[in-house]
Amino acid sequence: MVNNEQRQHAEHIFLSFRKSKSPFAVCKHILETSKVDYVLFQAATAIMEAVVREWILLEKSSIESLRTFLLTYVLQRPNLQKYVREQILLAVAVIVKRGSLDKSIDCKSIFHEVSQLISSGNPAVQTLACSILTALLSEFSSSSKTSNIGLSMEFHGNCKRIFQVKNKKCMLSVFLINRNVNKGKHYIAMFESSQNVMLKPTELWRETLLDSRVMELFFTVHRKIREDTDMAQDSLQCLAQLASLHGPVFPDEGSQVDYLAHFIEGLLNNINGIEIEDSEAVGISSIFSNLITVFPRNILTAIPNELFSSFVNCLTHLTCSFGRSAALEEVLDKDDMVYMEAYDKLLESWLTLVQDDKHFHKGFFTQHAVQVFNSYIQCHLAAPDGTRNLTANGVASREEEEISELQEDDRDQFSDQLASVGMLGRIAAEHCIPLLTSLLEDRVTRLHGQLQRHQQQLLASPGSGSIDNKVLDDLYEDIHWLILVTGYLLANDTQGETPLIPPEVMEYSIKHSAEVDINTTLQILGSPGEKASSIPGYNRTDSVIRLLSAILRVSEVESRAIRANLTHLLSPQMGKDIVWFLKRWAKTYLLVDEKLYDQISLPFNAAFGVDTEGSQWIVGYLLEKVISNLAVWSSEQDLANDTVQLLVTLVERRERANLVIQCENWWNLAKQFARRNPPLHFLSSSVQRTLMKALVLGGFAHMDTDTKQQYWTEVLQPLQQRFLNVINQENFQQICQEEEVKQEITATLEALCGIAEATQIDNVAILFNFLMDFLTNCIGLMEVYKNTPETVNLIIEVFVEVAHKQICYLGESKAMNLYEACLTLLQVYSKNNLGRQRIDVTAEEDQYQDLLLIMELLTNLLSKEFIDFSDTDEVFRGHEPGQGANRSVSAADVVLYGVNLVLPLMSQDLLKFPSLCNQYYKLITFICEIFPEKIPQLPEELFKSLMYSLELGMSSMSSEVCQLCLEALTPLAEQCAKAQETDSSLFLATRHFLKMVFDMLVLQKHNTEMTTAAGEAFYTLVCLHQAEYSELVETLLSSQQDPVIYQRLADAFNKLTASSTPPSLDRKQKMAFLKSLEEFMANVGGLLCVK
Amino acid sequence: MADEIDFTTGDAGASSTYPMQCSALRKNGFVVLKGRPCKIVEMSTSKTGKHGHAKVHLVGIDIFTGKKYEDICPSTHNMDVPNIKRNDYQLICIQDGYLSLLTESGDVREDLKLPEGELGKEIEGKYNAGEDVQVSVMCAMSEEYAVAIKPCK
Repeated sequence: MVNNEQRQHAEHIFLSFRKSKSPFAVCKHILETSKVDYVLFQAATAIMEAVVREWILLEKSSIESLRTFLLTYVLQRPNLQKYVREQILLAVAVIVKRGSLDKSIDCKSIFHEVSQLISSGNPAVQTLACSILTALLSEFSSSSKTSNIGLSMEFHGNCKRIFQVKNKKCMLSVFLINRNVNKGKHYIAMFESSQNVMLKPTELWRETLLDSRVMELFFTVHRKIREDTDMAQDSLQCLAQLASLHGPVFPDEGSQVDYLAHFIEGLLNNINGIEIEDSEAVGISSIFSNLITVFPRNILTAIPNELFSSFVNCLTHLTCSFGRSAALEEVLDKDDMVYMEAYDKLLESWLTLVQDDKHFHKGFFTQHAVQVFNSYIQCHLAAPDGTRNLTANGVASREEEEISELQEDDRDQFSDQLASVGMLGRIAAEHCIPLLTSLLEDRVTRLHGQLQRHQQQLLASPGSGSIDNKVLDDLYEDIHWLILVTGYLLANDTQGETPLIPPEVMEYSIKHSAEVDINTTLQILGSPGEKASSIPGYNRTDSVIRLLSAILRVSEVESRAIRANLTHLLSPQMGKDIVWFLKRWAKTYLLVDEKLYDQISLPFNAAFGVDTEGSQWIVGYLLEKVISNLAVWSSEQDLANDTVQLLVTLVERRERANLVIQCENWWNLAKQFARRNPPLHFLSSSVQRTLMKALVLGGFAHMDTDTKQQYWTEVLQPLQQRFLNVINQENFQQICQEEEVKQEITATLEALCGIAEATQIDNVAILFNFLMDFLTNCIGLMEVYKNTPETVNLIIEVFVEVAHKQICYLGESKAMNLYEACLTLLQVYSKNNLGRQRIDVTAEEDQYQDLLLIMELLTNLLSKEFIDFSDTDEVFRGHEPGQGANRSVSAADVVLYGVNLVLPLMSQDLLKFPSLCNQYYKLITFICEIFPEKIPQLPEELFKSLMYSLELGMSSMSSEVCQLCLEALTPLAEQCAKAQETDSSLFLATRHFLKMVFDMLVLQKHNTEMTTAAGEAFYTLVCLHQAEYSELVETLLSSQQDPVIYQRLADAFNKLTASSTPPSLDRKQKMAFLKSLEEFMANVGGLLCVK
Repeated sequence: MADEIDFTTGDAGASSTYPMQCSALRKNGFVVLKGRPCKIVEMSTSKTGKHGHAKVHLVGIDIFTGKKYEDICPSTHNMDVPNIKRNDYQLICIQDGYLSLLTESGDVREDLKLPEGELGKEIEGKYNAGEDVQVSVMCAMSEEYAVAIKPCK
């Protein structure tokens, strides 16, 4: 056995071997004599690394002979281990790549050799040739810096020559090469637009690619090799690339139409009538997806009608079939979900296809949409209506697995699928909306019955615990999917903007409004406790409203089960789905704004328009639901959260809030929350905060002055009153550690965070003034609770929230108030924590969390400098005019002062917390970038710690932090250049940084991603300290004993600054320098690292 | 006399824990796990099956010993939360391994041990050097230890 130490020792030997100087002869010897694969592998690696490192020291001819040696070596040893062979070929590829940089190696010769290998007729040799090409291409395509024009033309030639080859083994070569051609062209495409990875070759390709025989060859080849998993994927990739052909290769639209028609014909011939292999699914769906994404609608519709119809039919068929296979994959719990991926792609293609439907006659896609929609529903419903959880032979599988909170909810995990299916449902609204309604109504009736039976069973034999929940679970899962699909069908996801009723849904409702009886519709909507079909004339109702009311019926069954003490039988997931849907629906439909639509459906207007009984009723219903959920489901965090989000939706728009505050329930909720009684205080703190936010937002609804006064008396004043009562007690100091007192304080602080969250531009004046009073008191609390870390932490969080939500709206004098409060907070914190030593187990964690919040607070304050919506106290006009106008302290002053206070509390140990470390460096980089002029004026100690932090960040932190520090150096150096004070401490510090960056670039191995940031800093520093720079170069050169290295180095340095002498901060010069630096790094980088 | 003081100033009658619904517990808050007062360092939920009810998984560390405890329970359950009190006292002297501490109200407590390890040495060192020191004492579930010191200003 090899022990750990021996293993490390061995690793060390290999590592140092790879770093050794000019290992070529040794390596050659090893390759020729050793029989150990791993050693061969290491030798190849050593050659590869050394060639790059010592490139400029090597004679061109020796490089060439090395390359030939490696190639011959591989050719002569067909039995090499695959990983050894590939490493050697990679070394060859790297040599070619490096050679192409300074044009010292002629790419043509290697391609010539490769083409000879390919035409040799020997399959093994051909395979090898392909491996070389693969290595070359993967090496080339990982960089975007080298030119590759010759390369692709060579491939072009190779390609043509091989087209004649017929035997099967050679097909492989054809494939690999074709794949490479595509990669190569990929690569050209990258030059033209780095974003687009579709195939967009130049005109030079016209003759080949538009040659129909070429395309046919690809299809033929695929037919022949499709049973071979690996090859089939390659060939499909080629086809997918051909399906994305666009750009100058097409001389005109006609040729594009011909090409497309031809391609689709070939595709359909290939697919129709065969059984698709698992390994083909993703490739085929990519072909469809590319065709639909890349070819413009007018080209698609220009192909022969029949052909286009067959294409869409085929797409429909494949989508349904992949959907079913994807469902099977889920049942079998496969790791590799190929059908799911393929299904995702096709559904996405549908969305693309139907979104821009002007080019197709109306209803063109309806039947297809119906099919895809039906199959989606079918896959997600339990038997007998659907096939969910059925294996291929029809056996139901059911597993209760443990689901962690990290698992995404289906509505997010499958949001793309649901968006597509929802869109298709709209297109086929005539079919899909009634279908969803009847499925849901059916499930509601069954759920109700099932729950009743359970209840009777419980009453008959209480305590007989074992009830089989299979039927219930199946119903819940059915309802779950039906609600998700309905939600996506009826409304869109929106961020920020006002969501609109989808035009298809609106049209559908309008189209049928003549046949609809409004009163019956309202009756259906308003009686969720009754079966829809029990209402006379139920078939003459608006279908969209009936679909909504079907979900209200689900909700009602849930509520009744709760009242019947059956909560333990209910599904929290379904509860979540219901409030999620209601929120989505309310955002879009509740109080429809007529101004936003050309035409509005009469039933919609009657049921949830402005000033209707319907809307008042539904607001009341939703509110009741929210209140019931918060009481019953306090233990289900996610459900409580979705519920409280629904509440926020109801009050965040003034029009809706106006209705909400007319409900007595709302006032009860407010009072109950203010009293901090159960059940609301069982809610988790984040839910309580959001509830507070909603209650505050509701207070800005339209009310008469008295009512408003009364509302605030109910909501905000109790908070203030209770708080003041506690802290103003004479013996507060003595009782502050008592549990009730601590809970009271915690609840208040939590509520303050919630209030801050409710900030909007039109209420900031009131909320800021309200919160400011508390902030002052909170500072007193910091003193009282100085030894209670969790309270201290929460107090800081209040400040963070207030600053985060409000600073951008505050005018000068208000901002000043907040700055001052934050400063005092920091002073108290610092006073209480300096010199304090704790041994309790959570000491470090507590301090870490405090400092993280403080950094966040400072960053929030700093954000005022670039996000500022205030109009010199505009929003405060009439509140406290004119105060504090004569003071002028900037955010920078406050932040720097803050940094000064907390810096002594930071320790290198604390910087080991990655999030704290990143936040800290983000903050100081921010400061350097925004206020470089403030840095030289800092107190000496602070200045020193700041510079030390930068040094530390560059030398011993993560590369992310290092990058941040490098970014901070540029503005500092520029500041020095502007100030022209050669004796300032900043000037001296930058001199030190010049050496650091110099060493980093020249002597140390560093992350190449950092070259740009380092280069910019380096150049600015060089400009500032030209003499010192020359000195550094001299010192480095004089330490070289090898005259060859000396000369090469000296040349490299000369070249580096040639374009920018004398260096100046001119942008053009800087860019030129950065360019030369790249070359310099390629020539010298690593050379001096050799030990 | 010391005994009398203990009887009158103790939390006679006050319970050392109170119940709280699991879902209302918070990270960084406290909970009793396996009979020990713990700070919650990790709190996550899971459910059995998509339509199951939430269970809460708690990881806490004993605030006195640093030992790690875990528990999992339905989120509707009530958990005990320890009452935690922290008091700062002025150090008067150290005798026989016990601290003499001056309370806010002017009484003297002599029932707390000089902590072991670093902090103990630190306290002794400061005391011997004649520095004024404030000692923070944490108390939960009838255990009480000195956990921090800070030089008096």
